[in-house]
Amino acid sequence: MKLKVARVEKNLSQQELADLCEVTRQTIGLIEKGKYNPTLNLCIKISSVLDKTLNDLFWDENKK
Amino acid sequence: MDERNKQIALRIIAIMYFLTIFAMQGIAIYRQFVLGQELSEFEDIAILMTINSLFLISALLYFGGVPVRKLKIKTIILAYLVFVVLGSLFTYAKYNIFGSSDLSFKQLFDKLIIVCAIIGIMMGFWILLSILGKRRTEKEIGD
Repeated sequence: MKLKVARVEKNLSQQELADLCEVTRQTIGLIEKGKYNPTLNLCIKISSVLDKTLNDLFWDENKK
Repeated sequence: MDERNKQIALRIIAIMYFLTIFAMQGIAIYRQFVLGQELSEFEDIAILMTINSLFLISALLYFGGVPVRKLKIKTIILAYLVFVVLGSLFTYAKYNIFGSSDLSFKQLFDKLIIVCAIIGIMMGFWILLSILGKRRTEKEIGD
């Protein structure tokens, strides 16, 4: 959910974010839905493209 | 192809690989016990499966697919004994139960020496690969 919000804030479609991260749109979609666990490398790439930290996008305070 | 596609592809390839190996095993058993074919008639399948298993274990050991922390002499000896017992049972069954020839104890003992030697060479090869694999990883960490 955090990823989706950050992506929309940046005015990017799933396809655009996918192209910037060199992955498929489906992969971004599945990460947003929480159905795929990306590797740390991909997390870093997504965070860098969206100008966010890993914590901002992938850290869940409730699961602490 | 992104990381997710690669992960899925690798998982499916691994499953298909094991299914193929099990299918080949099934074919070998079917040919031997149902069709009653001679061992020499499906030697190709047996050789292919043996080489396949040998290289699979070798590659797993070299590339760190097996969690080998420390090579303990006790574990190596135990593994060797297990392999020797299994190999001996297989050799005994092959000639005295499934085969038509009843081997004398002397003949069986001669064959067991060969089994012990082959297993020794095989395990030596795997130990060497484990050491080389560990060194390779240590070198990568060092770089």
